[in-house]
Amino acid sequence: MTASDPITAAAGDLAPAASGAITLRDVTVTYPGGTRALRGVSLSIAPGEMVSVVGLSGSGKSTLIRTINALVPITSGRLLVGEQDVSRLSGRSLRELRGRIGMIFQGFNLAERTSVLSNVLVGRFAHSPAWRSLLGLPSAQDKQIAIEALDSVGILDRAWSRAGALSGGQKQRVAIARALSQQPSVMLADEPVASLDPPTAHSVMQDLLRINEERGLTVLVNLHLMDLARQYTTRMIGLRDGEMVFDGPAADATDQDFEAIYGRPIQGRDVLGSAP
Amino acid sequence: MSTHAQASATLPRRPTHRVRTALILAALIAFSVATCLPAIGGVEIDLESITRNWRNGASKLQQLAQPNLAFLPRTLGPMLETLAMAVVGAVTAALVSIPVTLWAARPSNPHTVTRQLVRFVVNIVRSVPDLVYATILVAMIGVGTLPGVVTLILFDIGVVIKLVSEAIDSTDHPYLEAGRAAGGTQLQINRRTVLPQSWPLLTNQWLYSLELNVRISAILGIVGAGGIGRLLDERRAFYAYEDVSLIILEILIVVVLIELLSTTLRKRLR
Repeated sequence: MTASDPITAAAGDLAPAASGAITLRDVTVTYPGGTRALRGVSLSIAPGEMVSVVGLSGSGKSTLIRTINALVPITSGRLLVGEQDVSRLSGRSLRELRGRIGMIFQGFNLAERTSVLSNVLVGRFAHSPAWRSLLGLPSAQDKQIAIEALDSVGILDRAWSRAGALSGGQKQRVAIARALSQQPSVMLADEPVASLDPPTAHSVMQDLLRINEERGLTVLVNLHLMDLARQYTTRMIGLRDGEMVFDGPAADATDQDFEAIYGRPIQGRDVLGSAP
Repeated sequence: MSTHAQASATLPRRPTHRVRTALILAALIAFSVATCLPAIGGVEIDLESITRNWRNGASKLQQLAQPNLAFLPRTLGPMLETLAMAVVGAVTAALVSIPVTLWAARPSNPHTVTRQLVRFVVNIVRSVPDLVYATILVAMIGVGTLPGVVTLILFDIGVVIKLVSEAIDSTDHPYLEAGRAAGGTQLQINRRTVLPQSWPLLTNQWLYSLELNVRISAILGIVGAGGIGRLLDERRAFYAYEDVSLIILEILIVVVLIELLSTTLRKRLR
C-alpha cells in the first residue's frame, strides 16, 4: 500500500514550492461583530511537525486553524505558509495555496448525496482545469490519485457508496482521503474526532499520525481532549481567550498546564480514555 | 420559592384584550359594508339574478350532465397537443432553471449584486399572470402551440427558480467550506457538490410544474394558444355543451392521472 505510494512521491515533487512551514507574527483576528478571536499570536511551525492546538470552545482554536488557509482573513500581523504571505493572496493564487493545504472538519463536510469517489475528487479542484469538474470527467491521473487516497485510509471498497450512507468514522476517513488527494504539504484538522466514539476517535487520530510520519506532512490538529493531545502530538499550543498561553512538547504538558489553558480545574470530560 | 404555603395552585387570570377585539371587529364590519355598497365604491352584487336566470342555468347543467361520447375521437388530437405543450414547457424550463437557480441562491452565489439582479428579474417574470403572457404572445407570434409553450416556460421558470433557490438558501451546506478549503472555484463547488445535493429539490419542483402545466395549458387555448382549450372555446361558442362537458371531463381525468404519476414519483425521491 505504501511501498509504491504515488501520493508521497508526487508530494515530494512539489516539495520546493510547497514547504510545510507555517509562521505567524503577531496575528490578530477581529470578526465583523467586534469579537476578538485571536490576540497577537506569534509562533512558527517547522515542516513535518505534529502540533495540537488545545483550548476550550470559543478560545480561538478554530479561528487559528482557519487563518492558515485564509478561510478566515487575518485582521493584522503576518502569516506565512512556506514562502507565501497568505494575506496577500487572492483569486487564483489563493486557490493554489489552498490546494496544497488539506483540511478535515468536525462535521466531515461531505456532499452526502454523491458518491464517496466524487467527494474525494473535490480534493483535485485546485489541481485540474474547471471544465473537467463541470463535465464530471476527471483525468485518469486525478482518478488514480483519488483511488490511492481512498486505499490508504482503507475504504476503497466503498468508493461507489453514497457518502451519506457511511458511518461517522468512515465519513471522516473519506474526508481524510479528500484532503490527501490534494497531495498537500500541510494538513489542518478542526476537532476531527469530536463527533466520533472513542475507538473510532483513536483510529482517526492514528491515521493523522501515520500521515504525519509517512508523508512528512505538517499536521495542525485542534483538540479539546488532554489525553489525545499528549498521546498523538509532539508539540502543543494552548489558547485561552484568543491568546497563546502554552507552547511546548505535548508529552510534558502537566495537568496544571491544562488547568491554566482551560482556566478551570480538570474535569472528567477533558479526557477521552480507552486508548486502543 | 420557599413560601408556597397553600397547595392549591391558581391559574393567573387570562389577559383580555376587549378594546383590541372591538376595534378589529369594527374595522371588519366597516370593510365589509364598504365593499358591498356600490354607492361608496363597493361591488354590486345582485342576488336576484340567480333566481331570475335559474331556468337558464338549469338547462345548461342538464346539457352538461350528458357528455357527448361520440365527440371523443375529435378531442384526442388537441388533448395530445396539450400534453405535448406541458411536457415541452416543463423540460425546457427545467433545463433553464438549473444554472439560474444556483445563480439566485446565496450558498451557490455569494456575490450579492448578481444574486439580487437575478432574483429581481425572476420576480418580474413571476409576477405577470400566465393568461397575460399568452394573450400578448398570441398577438406577437400568432395563434398556435408556440405562444402556449413559451407561456408555460416563463411560468415554470418563475416558480421553480424562486421556490428552489429559497429552499437552497434555507438548508445547511457544510461541504461548501470543504470545497473552498480545497481551493475550488465557486463554479466547481456548485457543479460537484451543491447541484447533486439539490437534485431532490429541483426534481420535486419540476414534476410539480409539469402537473401545473397540464392544468394551465387546458385554459391557454381560450386565448388562442393551442391545445384542448381552443377546442373547448370553439364548442362553447357553438353552445355545444354536451361536447364542452366531455372536454371538461377529459381534462379532469388527465389532470388527476398526471397528479397521481407525479405524486408517486415525488414520493420515491425522498
